[in-house]
Amino acid sequence: MSMLLTKRLARSLWRTKLRLSAVILMVAVGVFAGITFGSYAHAAANLYEEIYDSEDGVNLPDVWVENPVGIWNESTSDILCQSISDEWPEAELSFQNCEPRLILNGLMYHTNSEGEEVLIPGVWHGIDEGEVDKVWMPTESHMSSGSLATTETEIVLDSHTALGMEIDVGDTVVLGAGHGKKHYTVVGIGFHSQHLFFSQEGVLLPAEAGTFATGYMTDTGLERLANLEPGDSNRLLIDINGTPPYDLQSTDENEGEELNAIIAHIETIVNSLDDAPSSAHDRSGVESVELLRADAEGAVKMFPYVTGMLAIVAGITIFLSLQRLIQSQAKEIAVLRTLGIPKKSIMPGYVLAPIFIGFVGSILGTILGVYVGAPAMLNLYGEMIGLPISIDVDTGLIIQNVSIALVIVMLSGLRPAWQASRMQPLEVFRGHHEVKLSSRGLQKITASLPTTIGLSIRSSLRKPMRLAFTFFAVGLSMLLFGSMFFMMGSMEDMMVGSIEEKQNWDVMTYVYPGGENAVIDWAENNSVQYEPMLTFPIGLQNDTRELMGYGLEKISTVDNGETMIVVELKDGTLPQNGATPPQILIDEGTSKFLEWNVGEKRTVMVGAAPVEVEITGVTKGDVTRTIYFHRSDLSEIVGIEATTVLLQLPEDGNTEGLAEVTVGLVIKKDMIKSFETLLEKQQKMLVAIEALGIVIAIVVLFNTLLMNLSERDTELATLRVLGAPIDKLGMMMFWEHLAIGIVGGILGAIFAYFGTVAMINSMVQWAFFFTVEPQISSVLLLVGIVTVISIALTPIGMWRIKKMDLVEKVKDLSQ
Amino acid sequence: MTLVEISGMERHYVMASETVRALDGIDLSINKGERIILLGPSGSGKTTLLNCVAALDNPTAGDYSFDGEEVPRGHAEKMTTFRRENIGYVFQFFNLLQDLTVLENILLIQELSGQRDKKRAIELLTLVGLEGEVNRFPAEISGGQQQRVAIARSLAKKPKLLLGDELTGNLDSATSSMVMEVLVKACESEDITVIMVTHDESLAKYATRVIRLDSGRIISDEKVSN
Repeated sequence: MSMLLTKRLARSLWRTKLRLSAVILMVAVGVFAGITFGSYAHAAANLYEEIYDSEDGVNLPDVWVENPVGIWNESTSDILCQSISDEWPEAELSFQNCEPRLILNGLMYHTNSEGEEVLIPGVWHGIDEGEVDKVWMPTESHMSSGSLATTETEIVLDSHTALGMEIDVGDTVVLGAGHGKKHYTVVGIGFHSQHLFFSQEGVLLPAEAGTFATGYMTDTGLERLANLEPGDSNRLLIDINGTPPYDLQSTDENEGEELNAIIAHIETIVNSLDDAPSSAHDRSGVESVELLRADAEGAVKMFPYVTGMLAIVAGITIFLSLQRLIQSQAKEIAVLRTLGIPKKSIMPGYVLAPIFIGFVGSILGTILGVYVGAPAMLNLYGEMIGLPISIDVDTGLIIQNVSIALVIVMLSGLRPAWQASRMQPLEVFRGHHEVKLSSRGLQKITASLPTTIGLSIRSSLRKPMRLAFTFFAVGLSMLLFGSMFFMMGSMEDMMVGSIEEKQNWDVMTYVYPGGENAVIDWAENNSVQYEPMLTFPIGLQNDTRELMGYGLEKISTVDNGETMIVVELKDGTLPQNGATPPQILIDEGTSKFLEWNVGEKRTVMVGAAPVEVEITGVTKGDVTRTIYFHRSDLSEIVGIEATTVLLQLPEDGNTEGLAEVTVGLVIKKDMIKSFETLLEKQQKMLVAIEALGIVIAIVVLFNTLLMNLSERDTELATLRVLGAPIDKLGMMMFWEHLAIGIVGGILGAIFAYFGTVAMINSMVQWAFFFTVEPQISSVLLLVGIVTVISIALTPIGMWRIKKMDLVEKVKDLSQ
Repeated sequence: MTLVEISGMERHYVMASETVRALDGIDLSINKGERIILLGPSGSGKTTLLNCVAALDNPTAGDYSFDGEEVPRGHAEKMTTFRRENIGYVFQFFNLLQDLTVLENILLIQELSGQRDKKRAIELLTLVGLEGEVNRFPAEISGGQQQRVAIARSLAKKPKLLLGDELTGNLDSATSSMVMEVLVKACESEDITVIMVTHDESLAKYATRVIRLDSGRIISDEKVSN
């Protein structure tokens, strides 16, 4: 390899500083984004590992047995635990521990900053021995402090609650669980496995500070709050020796066959000893755990694609730039070849160039990623989920990203380098390498157009490969922008829109079995509209996955004021009340994952009892897996009238006395506010990603249009010498950029749509499911953005023509 | 009748530490209908003079009027308008737009000058003997034919003055003769004045006047009788 040849190439590259900077920027953006998203992915995965799987973690149970509608007394729970231990099946997985636990919905009476007492829905845990599913109080984190509760008047508040409501260790909180108010002293602030992802039951987004509370007291402390007997419980937490594999909901295969067999066995034991329809599940049935796992898994899966995608865009930009460079240096290369310089001396420089560009871009991207992107991303992630996140960037991650970037940019330089070395001097001197016969078909199509427009179209299509690569790169950058845009819109529609528009209740109250009558009395006495609802976990045969069964008083697709929850039907018809077998609706996600369809009869598990149901329709808009029954049908199956009463409050929103007759409540406007706040926070991140997409699209288009212009210098100079006015040439350029913008925009929107669908398909799983439904306005916006970027580059082209030295150009044209 | 009137025209370039006097006091008067050939060695100032006449370049000093009007200088768009309204230009390397057919190359210049006239475009192609090639792309015709298209293109907007810079420099002698004959015929037919720069003394037979330059000055100015 000749140093002089390499030096010559370096100087040539330096002459195209603007394009060189654009290419370096592209590589830097790829590495930056990879490190930023990768740090997030690693942090999410490490957090999950640290909390759930490490020895210092919470010692997560392996099996949860839940009594969703009743309470076991001390004797029953002891018998259940003993039987589970005694009748443990012959298996490799061995029983270690069974701990009864009491978890109740409730309320916090909180005095806000304006001095008003507000009701905050809450969940209270009575934690006895605390061998399993312990309160997590990381000592090195400023987000936890104090000690565990040891007396019946002490409580450890969840960190999300304490920090959100500015409650400290030593403060007193007032709580309720359907039996009046009780005072507790806060002795600690920590976290719990079921509330790490701090959302209310059945909700997939974390609650906003001050709208939801959880706390961990002693079992006697919770019994005091709920006026229960010592030893009462509604959960059994079963620990198995070691950490047995369990069935991941995001995969098709069953990774936890052995555990599933044990769970089925436990369910049989529990249901044979107790009438209450209980269900058992592994950790995938615990929403908080599953959502954190899914988040970590999604992030780990996603970030190499993001880096790769950006590196490909950078690679395309490098490829096109090098091709243009070689084209502009054709005569020099031909002279060198004529003088006897061998191919092998020409090629290395062009291979080295992209590596050098990749190296500089990688250094820049690494610095930006490590010192700006990753800390910002991790801070935002920590703020969003309210968990202590360490802001460290793994060296392996940096090496991985830089390697991906370097490999892709190096590959992108191979073909141009090969082309440079294969150049035939004679062809170059005859000008054959530049002259390409225009398409006769295209000429015929555009013949009837004004020549200026015809020329614009033909010039744009002169280098179809370059144009295709440009559109591909713009498409990829728009995928980044558009997918965030589409996803944001779809998520907002499903999370907020579906509740705002299809649910007409103001307060959802939780009641113990039979407790609905007190709420109904309260509603009637206060002229409040009400609707009882029954929710119950529904199982599947030979499958650990669970759905939530909703028993609605009336099922309707029309918001006519007769029902407080309106369903949206995608397929089929509404179920008939009282049919045999019971008729149901299933959500779109359930239909997809279980391959259940309208008209089929299927068996579901209510506790351990199989129940045949007939599917009459499939609903859309449900994020979690849902079955809709008529309340009376579900009630007949589970033996309970209602678990919830929905209320429509009058204008003044008075809820006085409601807290005394309910064990817990959800206030719709607070829930929507929580969603909106969270979406707003997420939007910050998504807007940053969207901006990144736009910057990349600008760089890609800028690079291509600049190459188009530089390639047409001769043409434009000829026209200028012949007297073509700048405004006419500008108009020609405008049409050309408009055409490229519109086509690029349409392709970008198509890329974005299919990319988003693919991304969502890879992300959705049993725990959450949603679809993309792009609005025409969103598509037009995408097309508009690319078009505007493209058109905005016209003045640059005109500026270039204006500063053209015609005397020099004429020399080129005539000598 | 005088078309071009130049007096005391100078054009200086500052190169490194010295000033090059590319034109060093040119006085020249050209009547309508003349066909002038500028001859001279490399660096004599032929192309610089042509550029100044075309209003591509700004003279450093001197006066230049065209058809009785002072030619704009120092203002790119006014100079462009002057060229558009008065000047045709033929280059050595044809510089036809490869994406346009022969006919479209002429129509483009008309459109950019605001006067698309397909009939005239075809007439011009007929004048240069290319009526059968109107729908071919430049890459599909010979070099001589391409230069004839370039001549037709330069006549498309009815210029008063046609300038040519080594317009046969890229052609063999037979083709050169053919192109020059076409040029003479076309310019006579359109009543267009011509100034051509060349190294080729043999082209003098197509001129009505031969001007020789050296070191930025006119060293001879002879009428030619053909």
